[in-house]
Amino acid sequence: MTIYLVVPLLLVVAVLQTSLVPHFALWGVFVDLPILFVGSWGLLAGSREGLLWGFIAGVTTDALSGAPFGAATFALMAVGFLAGLGEANVSRAQFALPLVTIFLATVLYDLVFLLIVRISGQPVVWLESLLRIVLPSAALNTVLAPLIYGPMRLLHNRFIREEMEF
Amino acid sequence: MTRERLRNLLPILLVVLTFTGLVLHSTGQLQPLEGLLVRVTKPLQELLSGATGQLGELAQTARDLRDLRQRNEELESENARLLLDNVRLREIQAEAALLRDLLNLKQDSPGYEVRGARVIGRVIGQDPSNLQRFVILDVGREAGLAPNMPVTTDRGLVGRVREVGAGWSRVLLIIDTKSSVNALTQSTRANGLVEGQPDGSLVMRNIPQGDVVSVGDTVFTSGLGGNFPRQLLIGQITGVERKDFELYQTATVQPTVDFDHLEVVLIITDFEPIEGTEDTDSGDGQP
Repeated sequence: MTIYLVVPLLLVVAVLQTSLVPHFALWGVFVDLPILFVGSWGLLAGSREGLLWGFIAGVTTDALSGAPFGAATFALMAVGFLAGLGEANVSRAQFALPLVTIFLATVLYDLVFLLIVRISGQPVVWLESLLRIVLPSAALNTVLAPLIYGPMRLLHNRFIREEMEF
Repeated sequence: MTRERLRNLLPILLVVLTFTGLVLHSTGQLQPLEGLLVRVTKPLQELLSGATGQLGELAQTARDLRDLRQRNEELESENARLLLDNVRLREIQAEAALLRDLLNLKQDSPGYEVRGARVIGRVIGQDPSNLQRFVILDVGREAGLAPNMPVTTDRGLVGRVREVGAGWSRVLLIIDTKSSVNALTQSTRANGLVEGQPDGSLVMRNIPQGDVVSVGDTVFTSGLGGNFPRQLLIGQITGVERKDFELYQTATVQPTVDFDHLEVVLIITDFEPIEGTEDTDSGDGQP
């Protein structure tokens, strides 16, 4: 998919994440749209595109976040890259793989995010964050993953074999 | 350089770019770019926040109707009790005014400290991560805001300004795990540190064992450390944990501010934090 479509798409995702999504919290957490988009696209299009989507989504998210710049970018790049490793199996395990990928992607994202926050000198409450935020958030993202993965799959089929153009 | 080679170098390039961004952000040189993105997205954020607010109000109205009858009965009995309290408090107020005049003290009331310059900001966005508790306001440097200014509502302390752009600012909420505020209880004057928890609740730590802390007591900012004005309402104590072998007690605090439905806040612009005590991540610092 061309980068001229990806940048506005992920910018809108970041704006939705800061304005609309926090109003619909469940189990004390809200859905992480950037993880769902980057994880889904990485799984469908491979590591290279997953990495690039992670970078773009991360930069827009970091710009709107109070966290140290780079926390979301590094975390989403890791999500996109590692989700892309499952690309080869995506047609064989149609139902389970996206769900498992999004669950693990959320845990990975949050841990990388917290690690970078900690490295930048800010305090992190590891265990409580894991139990009260990371795991509920991973569960919520997994439940809602089909709502994003389905349309992303259709989008991917439309742009199949077309690598991102600069 | 061939196109294929550029593609192979892409992962390294992106990592280097991100590291560069991290370094530039820490030196403040990335703010113009971040400010540009916030300015670009601000109209959409305002639109979506407004729409969400209206939808929320509609749903809230339906819920309110259901609870109205029961609430009315409760309010009537509470009203009778408050009338009695009011008479008693007027007596106390008159007595306090008389004593103050006698002692010739120029004590500021809690309201006075926030009465000076104040700016009203509308919340247009929240932090995209579940792990952070920030809000984005639609006012910034142009309205006189600066980092570390305290932010309140009529219901109590919200947090403090962390970053400021031309027409926007980012506020670190007191329920964030990076926030800690020097506080004291109203009735027993017990000192402690109110800290945010990952689930958005508040805990008051470092309360000396000898101090009496009771459930229901109100918690205010103490003004120690000089980063917040004194006597800003924080919350109410809902539980106390005291172990004989520990130096300090811990209390859970229910914030008076509804952080899930923040819409309009006040920024206290005439309060100057004491220089040298600033701790951008930990608010008031240690007591």
